[in-house]
Amino acid sequence: MKYVKLPKENFSAFVENLKTHGKVYGPVKVGEFYSFQEIKNSKQMSLDYPRTMIPPKKFFLTLKEKIFTFDEEKGKYEEALEEGKIVVFGMHPCDINALKLMDKIYIDEAPDKYYKTRRENAIIIGHSCHPDEYCFCQSLGTNYATDGFDIFLHELKDGFFVRIGSDKGNAIASENSKLVKNVESKDIEDFREAERKREEEYTLELNIRGLTDMLALAYESDVWKEYADKCFGCGSCNLVCPTCRCYDTVDNVNLNLKSGERLRRLDSCMLRKHGLVAGGLNFRPTRIERLRNRFNCKGSLRENMLNCVGCGRCTVYCPSKIDYVEVHKKVRGEL
Amino acid sequence: MENVLLPNLAKIVKNEKMTAIERFLQAEVVDKKFAEIFDYNPGQFIEVSIMGVGEAPISICSIRTKKGSIDLCVRNVGRVTNAIHHLNVGSLVGLRGPYGNGFPMEEMEGSSLLLVAGGLGVAPLRSVLQYALKNRAKYKDITVFYGIRTYDTMLFRDEFYNLLAEGDKLGCKFYLSYEDAKDAKCLSLEAEHSDRCMSGVVTKLFERIKMSPKDTYAIICGPPIMYRFVVQELTKRNLPPEKIYMTLERRMKCGIGKCGHCIIGDGTSIKYVCKDGPVFTYWDALHAKGMI
Repeated sequence: MKYVKLPKENFSAFVENLKTHGKVYGPVKVGEFYSFQEIKNSKQMSLDYPRTMIPPKKFFLTLKEKIFTFDEEKGKYEEALEEGKIVVFGMHPCDINALKLMDKIYIDEAPDKYYKTRRENAIIIGHSCHPDEYCFCQSLGTNYATDGFDIFLHELKDGFFVRIGSDKGNAIASENSKLVKNVESKDIEDFREAERKREEEYTLELNIRGLTDMLALAYESDVWKEYADKCFGCGSCNLVCPTCRCYDTVDNVNLNLKSGERLRRLDSCMLRKHGLVAGGLNFRPTRIERLRNRFNCKGSLRENMLNCVGCGRCTVYCPSKIDYVEVHKKVRGEL
Repeated sequence: MENVLLPNLAKIVKNEKMTAIERFLQAEVVDKKFAEIFDYNPGQFIEVSIMGVGEAPISICSIRTKKGSIDLCVRNVGRVTNAIHHLNVGSLVGLRGPYGNGFPMEEMEGSSLLLVAGGLGVAPLRSVLQYALKNRAKYKDITVFYGIRTYDTMLFRDEFYNLLAEGDKLGCKFYLSYEDAKDAKCLSLEAEHSDRCMSGVVTKLFERIKMSPKDTYAIICGPPIMYRFVVQELTKRNLPPEKIYMTLERRMKCGIGKCGHCIIGDGTSIKYVCKDGPVFTYWDALHAKGMI
């Protein structure tokens, strides 16, 4: 890994220069929430944000997109893929790690062209963070991004300790060679100190040892009924989850009834229709099954790989205040 | 880069009524290059797109007989299947696939096959049967149990009647069960072939055969309720769980393990029916929750 230092006074110039790589998106405060929005200058950003409501997955698996158009008379399907270069600035380690999990689904096997293209067209600039009472990323080891970014900025008192994570990131650092400096031993000490302090700031813990077995053993437990009674089945947890990636497709027809488009939009496993097949059979007919399925799905992307990064969003934005960590404690029989 | 979500165009060449709610369709892919490589195994399925209506997973009901051609047996149960029923010969549909693992036909070589189908479940098993009959020397006994409700709901009537009447000559023992004990046409079938046809649910047919659990594979497809009872009968006859294959139905929107609708199992064993299945063994079902 290559390391450089970005002094505080050069920060806005650095952000400005990123515009040559595409539209720059950063965390902006909107009302009482935070959101990744296109920014004109660095001052618009609130880099001390705890988490955005909608995770940066929205740039790659968009909430709604046209995947192709069709024309029955001409007899053809035509791919609809809008390509635009973007820079996502200020992503936290949990969100970077979440994208790596998403890549396993959307790139590793039968690559999804839309997702993959957008991933390739994006530059990821990470930014260090401080946990609040909802963060349990430390338990999952996702509170640090070892890769999955082009550049990562660790905030120090007098600037940023910069990690270069890719060739693209290296090129950006070279372009900005006048703005960055070599790291000195004091910077390294400051970085170590900052990381040490940050590790101590965590208050919430999720015990992941044997978590998948605990979920399997609690399959018939009353826990699911207890929380299903509280759950509104609104799907907010799916929308805000950085690793939730279910989608549905729908065909829209033009007025001539011959041509139209197929849209893909995010779906939610908490909605009644998720397990419903034509003919009326529903494989997850009640909220109990749907809630249990969500927790089991978060517990396993594949064997030995959790599908959660501990960002805390599902707890924070649940209108019924269902606490993800608390549910897991009940699953273990600790509460 | 290949776009896995973009369907390939195919032309409907046959759309025939089979029963009140099922039709038989044959489609041929338009692109000649694609037709060359387009092939599928018994038990796989295909995503059929109707422009402006949507897409649905349909199991393939035959082995490939002609380059670029595919046979489907479709029940009218929803929006897409209803649209499929109303397709004219010559109309265009979109196909993606084939998807899914299919039945392990090679692994089962050298053994006897017992196919148990209920209702529409006979569609994917028909391709297994065709494959096994085409490669007849590779398998020992081939036995088929087909359960129907009434004569009118029977699929591939001529074909299966043939098997019922002279199946032994064609290389398989074909048994038929019907649920409606008052169905006149079924009764006359039974009168004709009393050794191969009886009233009752499909599991009743087990009374008629002797099974050697050592070298038999069972292959099941039918409505979800059927699996438990058939598995019970097979287990009673000492067939080990890993030799019981079944193919499952779920909402398989994408077919490639991405859209998340067909997920089953618990934290220790999440499975995608579309990608890891739709063919699973009873052993899998014992270890992944919510399968049957």
